[in-house]
Amino acid sequence: MIFFLQEQIPLPNPPISSAPPVQVNAILTDINPIVNYLPILLLLIIAISFPVVALNISSFLRRTVFDQAKLSAYECGNDPVGDARERYSVRYYIIAMLFLIFDVETVFLFPWAIIYDQLAIFGLIEIFIFIGILIVGYYYAWRKGALEWV
Amino acid sequence: MQSLNLNYYYVLPHIILSITGIMSLLFGAFNKQAHRDLVFINSAGLITAGVSTYRLWNLVSSNAKDGPLTAFSGMVVLDHMSLAFIFIFLIVAFLSTLLSLNFLEDEDQSPEEFNSLLLFATVGMMLMASAGDMVMVFLGLEIASIATYVLAGYRKTDLRSNESALKYFILGSFSTAFLLYGMALVYGATGSTNLETISNAIKSGNNAITAQPMVMELLYVGAGMLLVGFGFKISTAPFHVWTPDVYQGAPTSVTAFMATGPKAAAFVAFLRIFVFTFAASYSFQLHTTWVNLLQVLAILTMIIGNIVALSQTDIKRVLAYSSIAHAGYALIGFLADDWISVAFYMLTYSIMNIGAFAVVSVMAGKGDEKTELENWAGMGFKSLGLSIALLVFMLSMAGMPLTGGFMGKFFIFKTAWDKGFHIIVIVAVLNSAISVYYYLRPMVMLFFRDENETNPTPLMSWTTYVTILLALAGTFYLGIMPGRLFSLLEVAKDVLVK
Amino acid sequence: MINLLNHILLILLQSEAASSGVKERLLEGLFNVNINNFLVLSSLLFVIGIAGVLTRRNVIVIFMSIELILNAVNINLVAFSRYWFLQSEGKNAYMGEIFTIFVIVVAAAEAVVGLGIIIAYYRNKETVAVDEIDLMKW
Repeated sequence: MIFFLQEQIPLPNPPISSAPPVQVNAILTDINPIVNYLPILLLLIIAISFPVVALNISSFLRRTVFDQAKLSAYECGNDPVGDARERYSVRYYIIAMLFLIFDVETVFLFPWAIIYDQLAIFGLIEIFIFIGILIVGYYYAWRKGALEWV
Repeated sequence: MQSLNLNYYYVLPHIILSITGIMSLLFGAFNKQAHRDLVFINSAGLITAGVSTYRLWNLVSSNAKDGPLTAFSGMVVLDHMSLAFIFIFLIVAFLSTLLSLNFLEDEDQSPEEFNSLLLFATVGMMLMASAGDMVMVFLGLEIASIATYVLAGYRKTDLRSNESALKYFILGSFSTAFLLYGMALVYGATGSTNLETISNAIKSGNNAITAQPMVMELLYVGAGMLLVGFGFKISTAPFHVWTPDVYQGAPTSVTAFMATGPKAAAFVAFLRIFVFTFAASYSFQLHTTWVNLLQVLAILTMIIGNIVALSQTDIKRVLAYSSIAHAGYALIGFLADDWISVAFYMLTYSIMNIGAFAVVSVMAGKGDEKTELENWAGMGFKSLGLSIALLVFMLSMAGMPLTGGFMGKFFIFKTAWDKGFHIIVIVAVLNSAISVYYYLRPMVMLFFRDENETNPTPLMSWTTYVTILLALAGTFYLGIMPGRLFSLLEVAKDVLVK
Repeated sequence: MINLLNHILLILLQSEAASSGVKERLLEGLFNVNINNFLVLSSLLFVIGIAGVLTRRNVIVIFMSIELILNAVNINLVAFSRYWFLQSEGKNAYMGEIFTIFVIVVAAAEAVVGLGIIIAYYRNKETVAVDEIDLMKW
């Protein structure tokens, strides 16, 4: 195992700084940095429009008839409208803390994903070990009842 | 072709301890009341890690001519200094594991969290010892600190423990922020986070990237902030205010751990960055500047630690101020550029401090209720063995001959005197004389006062007994026969490159 | 799709840039931001953070100020990383960014532990004002 791991792993090639696109256009290469951000703009537009559309499209499709039963919260749910400065259960904070830590740990996955093809099987094993450790922590929290509501 | 040089063998002790920590966490999740089994799991992991560290020590000794071994693109450096300190951390973790069993059985909480956090903190400290890059210093520091914050607040329903954890957390993360800002500025000045590259850049006076002269202001400000950050961690004088509160409030077995382990770890990272990286060079005044600054800090630390300890009434606060004073003594070895005497001092300091806190944890009883010295009046003859053990540890801290504390101080003062730090050595010797007063005061309480209330004879479990015996043996061994250990370290000095 | 967007942007810029110099200003903004600007921003954040730690009463706010200092560090690291990237013509990349990733993750871990400690304290004492945390002193 150790011998296998002692293999010398080549470093990924140094990044090419702001590679120009293929179409050679004087202005396009000049404004290249902005063009690189266009997918993000696109993503932003889609991300904003998706919930907006999804929330509003139903108002065109549904029948607008209200009665008492329909306006009440579904089954045993909370009243959806109220004072925002109400006290939260301490459970919220514990869930929030667990979410925070497991959410931020994924920041390590991004660099790995970018050079995934160069690290190949070695990187895969490493990232599985990493996720395995996270799963142990998650399992421990679960087992100890940190995820129980009430 | 550059290579990452992934050599897992060089971090084998770290890996073993991490796996042991995860195992004991899972073991505790499946078994209720597994206190004793967890101690065995932890001890097995620590001993295995010790064996692999010993093998690495031999490897480093045989490869001495090629310089220190590095792995993971220079992130991990293995030399005698890192391995010597790793040994100290393993000893500290082992003694703390034994000591904490009694306390854990009294508490109604999950013991596996305590045990695995102890191991994770140890892994962090070991990473600090073997760090070859500022990123690793930071990571190791944070792994150790975050685990220790939780340990300090382990007694969840006790307000003192909560307060201790809160103070430790706020001031600890504040100091880490300082440290990080300093690291960022040093990176900006030198163009690298690798300590060896930084060291070369400082020797030549040019940055590592373009070989132009570097921006000195950035380097100076960065080094100053690093000094403040490490000053917090080892509790030197202007940054020491958190120490007594945190040590007093935390459960005594945790205090024993965090007064010794993280402090030694901060010392080794401090040594690595300041003594080895910001080393003396001809063209450049950085070394002289920090040496002068630290000289003042060391004198202040010793004086404040010893003087304030005189007026304390709580035994844990007395020991906390004494640990501040000890940081001052250890800084003298630091100034003399001599890591060996610092390592030896931290070893003796750790052993006698854990021993003293072990006695305190027994005398204070369940829940650490009786830490005020007043409560100890007349207990001496009732628990004679414990009192004599405490006397030995206290005398060792004061620097009595035949004990480890004397040898540690002797080596430090000797090297510093030879290097020409005369004033500071004289101040330190005078301070040691002052310290005898407050080290002997608990003895006066124990033996020469009438018992004002009927205290029950303190009970202790066999693990605490073993801890105290081991600490006693260590104190006497280091005091009477330090020659073998010291010659081992002296060999290491010859082969240490730079 | 991207090509189409490129095209749209091109047309927009061509029509505008000819007269008002928008393009020049854009490019200047992208390439010629002096490192000093980043450093000034970062040291401002640092000072605000320190002031917050020293003056505020609420532990949560103090903690937020510490996070602010950590973010100042992140800005510093990324700015220096970019600076050395440009200085070395692309050979020396990413050192500061890697450091930043670790700082972000460690800050999150610290936040989790810190909030846990604060909750534990609040359960026992019903306050998080620092001047009432005075059980142990001297």
